Amino acid sequence: MAEQSDQSDAVLDALGRFDGALASVDVDAAVAAVEGLLDDGVDPATVLVDVISSAQRIVGDRWQRGEWTVAEEHAATAVAVSATEAVARYARRVPATRGRVVVACAEREWHALPAMIVGTALRGAGWEVTLLGASTPPLRLSQYLQDLGPDATAVSCSVLGALPTTRRFIEASTSAGIPVVVGGSAFGVDGRRATALGATAWAASARDAVAVVAELPTVVPEAAPLPGPAVGEQAALELIHHRLFTGLRERWALAAQVVTTEQLPLDSVAAVAVDVVNQALHAVWSALLTGDPTTLSETAAWTAALLFARGVEPGLVDELGRLLAADLRDFPLARDLVDRHWTDGALTAGRP
Amino acid sequence: MTGSKPAAPGAQAPPLGERAAPAEAEHGTRSLLSDQQLLAGARERIALTAEVTTQLAGSLNLRRTILRLFALVRPGMADWVMLAMADDSSSRLSLFGGKNPTFSTAVHRAEAEDLGLTRVLRSGRSELLHVVDTGHADGLDSMIPHDGLRSEATALRPADVLGVALTARGSTVGVLVLVRGAGRGFTEEDVALAEVVAARAATALDSARLYEERTRVASVLQSGLRPPVLPRPDGLRLAARFRAAAQHLDIGGDFYDVHGSGDDWLVVLGDVCGKGVEAAVLTGRARQSVRTAYHFDRRPGGVLAALNAVLYEEDSDRFVTVVCARVRPAADGRSAEVTLAVAGHPPPLLVRADGSVVETEVAGTVAGVLPDVAYTETALRLESGDTLLMFTDGIYEARGPDGCYGMDRLRALLPAYAGASPAVVCEAVERDVVEYLGGRAHDDMALFAVSCER
Repeated sequence: MAEQSDQSDAVLDALGRFDGALASVDVDAAVAAVEGLLDDGVDPATVLVDVISSAQRIVGDRWQRGEWTVAEEHAATAVAVSATEAVARYARRVPATRGRVVVACAEREWHALPAMIVGTALRGAGWEVTLLGASTPPLRLSQYLQDLGPDATAVSCSVLGALPTTRRFIEASTSAGIPVVVGGSAFGVDGRRATALGATAWAASARDAVAVVAELPTVVPEAAPLPGPAVGEQAALELIHHRLFTGLRERWALAAQVVTTEQLPLDSVAAVAVDVVNQALHAVWSALLTGDPTTLSETAAWTAALLFARGVEPGLVDELGRLLAADLRDFPLARDLVDRHWTDGALTAGRP
Repeated sequence: MTGSKPAAPGAQAPPLGERAAPAEAEHGTRSLLSDQQLLAGARERIALTAEVTTQLAGSLNLRRTILRLFALVRPGMADWVMLAMADDSSSRLSLFGGKNPTFSTAVHRAEAEDLGLTRVLRSGRSELLHVVDTGHADGLDSMIPHDGLRSEATALRPADVLGVALTARGSTVGVLVLVRGAGRGFTEEDVALAEVVAARAATALDSARLYEERTRVASVLQSGLRPPVLPRPDGLRLAARFRAAAQHLDIGGDFYDVHGSGDDWLVVLGDVCGKGVEAAVLTGRARQSVRTAYHFDRRPGGVLAALNAVLYEEDSDRFVTVVCARVRPAADGRSAEVTLAVAGHPPPLLVRADGSVVETEVAGTVAGVLPDVAYTETALRLESGDTLLMFTDGIYEARGPDGCYGMDRLRALLPAYAGASPAVVCEAVERDVVEYLGGRAHDDMALFAVSCER
């Protein structure tokens, strides 16, 4: 018991030092923090989840609160990648005796670090791991699946925009009979979206992924088709995404000028507009494919938090929902989802 | 797959027997079956074999195809199943499955010479054997030439063993060994069904076997053409990215390499005309020429002149664009002297620590077109926080909804990454370009960034 709490103190302490190292972009200090834990016998999965992933969430929060720029976030992430590589050097000492897992991110998913963390955790648990990098085309995944014949595919998906391409990964994997486990923040807090997309299993964290992969069936049937009309709308929206995005961003920027005349909040709106508008449209795709409308309310809440942190008039969240619904007039299912679910989130979150 | 059922996460593929069994269980003796029922049974079998074909067609990987076959066969058609595959290139017989579907092993063919298994393999004719409760399990001995596997099957006595030939494209490539215990036996219809399933499976297995052989050849040939793992020189930080035009390949017409040792390094990034496998083969030759030239002359201009001469003398219509950067880091890792030369390649960009982006002034003729070309060198100095970024035309010629990505977008993106590590710079550029493409096809793309260590 005492040993347990000693260890969790050590992990917390390392998290503090690791977070400091990310902020100061100090690779040596970050690597030293994780290697210190590993040398003391802390399990690689604990280091990965409770130090590296935890710190990475703090980094994301800093960007969301407007404290860090995207470039600063990238620099911090690169330091975390180096630290994960250090853990991987430890993990590789474990003999690989349990078969092979291909770990990948689908197209539009550029957060390669969570996949790397999952891959390292699986390697540490004795799996041979083949890690395909960020934004991998489905053809490339298929090539690897056919060449390697792995026991499982693991897909990490952090952004809603990559859920449709993650579905293509699920199709590629299951059509070859290979079970596929998915995880990442785009799947939300439970396995509902994962199930809807036809994944074999959902993992809540890298640690959970290790447990889940060990329990997967050897062979799975091909994932069932998704509901036709919703898939049709999503495909059409993806096709005209650039046009929708450009128009929506312009109209939203105009709306911002109407509600405020001060330069500072306007600059802030411009700075986050690309992310916000993309996210809003991607939330529509996700709701269509997964049938889970909370992607919309969550995105509205996220937008509200983003704007609140930058001192922007919160009414702009509702305005974005109205503009979005109007732009979706030719897409009845999508429009209905936005009409009914966007404001849930705008009303409930991000406000003091 | 029927396709209409919702996916049950974690569920196994439906075994054949789940559908085949009720038809027989519900109707007592066969003579009572009406024509209609016979017709329905026949339809069911046709659907079943179609399903086998569909399911097995999804995989080109031998191991995955075998696992899927087992999932289809067990437990509906058999209580225990093993697959033996002959390997023409060796004297071994590969055995798969048994109780644990992922199990595999190999035995010498000589050991199975006089067994029923080998008879089935030679004759292509199925054999059905009955194994009684007591005495020798000779039927099992005859079909299962492996102690561990045989003892698994022996536990099922009284058992019936069915060895079905897997014949595809005119040769028998393996034997599917099915065992039923507890006197369940195999009816004539069961044997007929097993043979139909085996025929479908044989083609899939044979295709997978051919594919695996090709994959082995391709991966050996490809390994020398893949982008190299970068060294970690003292005093420098290096990063590179490559994205092939042919999405499923890890090779193409863009290439990079790092040569050198100690405090003297040469970074090479280039682009041969064309893409895909043909281009990759040419990159292999160009890379080898550079490696050899560098052995005699470390100056970038000298390396390019030698590469040009070699490619020109090959008398092909192929040409190559290359940028060469000789980088000599200071001992404290806070600066580096760079000498640059290019052969028809876009000049690298220098991202200064203060965020300014400078296009290096260096030019030269493409390699492989003119006989004697001299390449002029340009010198520059990397200070702490500066990044030298080399790239191929696939970057700025990427076509998105608003035309080419262009150099202006690249120059506008980079200041935000001043002082960032080379890995961050490469990742940011790759991401921006690929997002700009919006899913459109692209040429090969390669990036290489260098900075001082501190």
